[in-house]
Amino acid sequence: MLQTTWGWEPALYLFLGGMGAGCFIMAAVLFLIDKKKHRLVTCVSMWAAFACLAAGLMLLLAELITPLRGMMMWQSFSHFTSWMTYGAWGAFAALAVWAVSALLATRPVGNWLAAHWGWFKDHGMGLRTVLAWIGLALGAFVAVYTGMLLMTAGGVPLWDSPLLPCLFTVSAFDTGVALVEVIAVVLSKKDPLAHRAAMLMERIVVVLVVLEVAVLAVFLWAMLSADPATAAGAAATYSAELLTTGGLSGVFWGMVVVCGLAVPLVMAILGLILNKRETRPIMAIGAIGALIGGCELRFLILAAGVHASILSTTVAGLLL
Amino acid sequence: MSSETTLTRRQLLGGATAVGACIIVGGVTAVAAGTASAETGESLAEVQYGFLVNMNKCVDCEKCVAACREFNHLSEDTPNRRTINTFVNSRGESVYVSTSCMHCGEPACERVCPAGAITKGDAGIVSTNKDVCIGCKYCFEACPYGVPNYNSVAMDKCDCCLDAGVAPGEEPYCVRACKFGALEYGPLDDLYALAEKQGKTAVPVGEAGAPSCLLIGEV
Repeated sequence: MLQTTWGWEPALYLFLGGMGAGCFIMAAVLFLIDKKKHRLVTCVSMWAAFACLAAGLMLLLAELITPLRGMMMWQSFSHFTSWMTYGAWGAFAALAVWAVSALLATRPVGNWLAAHWGWFKDHGMGLRTVLAWIGLALGAFVAVYTGMLLMTAGGVPLWDSPLLPCLFTVSAFDTGVALVEVIAVVLSKKDPLAHRAAMLMERIVVVLVVLEVAVLAVFLWAMLSADPATAAGAAATYSAELLTTGGLSGVFWGMVVVCGLAVPLVMAILGLILNKRETRPIMAIGAIGALIGGCELRFLILAAGVHASILSTTVAGLLL
Repeated sequence: MSSETTLTRRQLLGGATAVGACIIVGGVTAVAAGTASAETGESLAEVQYGFLVNMNKCVDCEKCVAACREFNHLSEDTPNRRTINTFVNSRGESVYVSTSCMHCGEPACERVCPAGAITKGDAGIVSTNKDVCIGCKYCFEACPYGVPNYNSVAMDKCDCCLDAGVAPGEEPYCVRACKFGALEYGPLDDLYALAEKQGKTAVPVGEAGAPSCLLIGEV
């Protein structure tokens, strides 16, 4: 038995939204560290972040029964006891800020604005810095939100844990860094990544993967050790067993743990050891592994999120 | 299979003799409910109504399901609002439980709906405004009982026949259709009292969300 009410569209949105958020944060960090270097990598990464979130939101709209009504945000997202409302407005704001950031980071646009708008010539860099910080904060919100959406639903025991937003947030940062790495490798001839920046990203990957492994392990342990006598506990255990030893275990261990965590960790450590030697293929392999694993993680967590059999538990108690 | 048939026949016989008694008890209860409300001065907005499901009496005739579909004019692409779950008791006999929306005291669906399409109104009825619902299905993931269904228009679930013209506090069509007294509807306090009068103990279907659906189990 799997959760099928939310299908592939929300799963892909959770991945794209998180990855986009992580990608913008990494791009903003690169920009804030050195505003002159990596202009192309930063610009393309910001556009990629925008495209990811935009595609994710389009998928969410496609999943709605009435997409047109969903686009009337002032009406359809007006109930502020729901995290979906906060998420919709937060994602919308992030989309707007990321779009403007990406636009201003695009060299022809920046040059044109500087030539035709005196204020921008003097204050353009300051404006981009402010937008990078705002975009970074919104990125952090979107990354956390993808997990909060599931946790605050409350009806699915597997999702009903504060560890889930932690897991999705770490994974969002991880996949975001991976996307920037892929972009950097692709653009390495036009805009080679500085050694310092490459090492920074590899270190970030090591920290994030170790953190993700720890959060994932505690999350699964908490679910597996839930009280099976209660309906919620039994459902949480069932869901965790689906992932670790059940029907989804092959994909979980192969795609999430090996491909999404072990491979990026090994490649990042290898990149740090090799230091100044050619590390682009290693970086690319690790990054692609992280993207596949991060995507699969969302699909599996959604699929394993089954409801508790509350009625069955109560009836069983009465029939004893 | 044969044990199920035997049980059904037995319950049919038992149910038939119980019908008369139930009608009397139900009538008395309904009158008593009105009196109680009037006595305490509670308005419909303050009283939580709910369902009492007697597992000993349900024979899986599905009349409640059919009545619900018919009187609420459910379209073909709309799943049943009421479902009958089958369980097996310690004697290996089938036991049936008819449930729909639990009309929770604290409805999770109402809390998570981003559009505010779900509201809790008079008699504690939780209903959906289909003109506002966007169909995001977040309410299904939030409902501990997995109740909300979806058709091509919006979310769909039991509203105690409000849309079918039944006033809040009046018996929904599923209860009217039940010939065996397996389904009762009324203020929760009255339903507990009714079970006690029958020498039984009614228990809520669960704890999550404070559901307004009570069960009477086997003796």
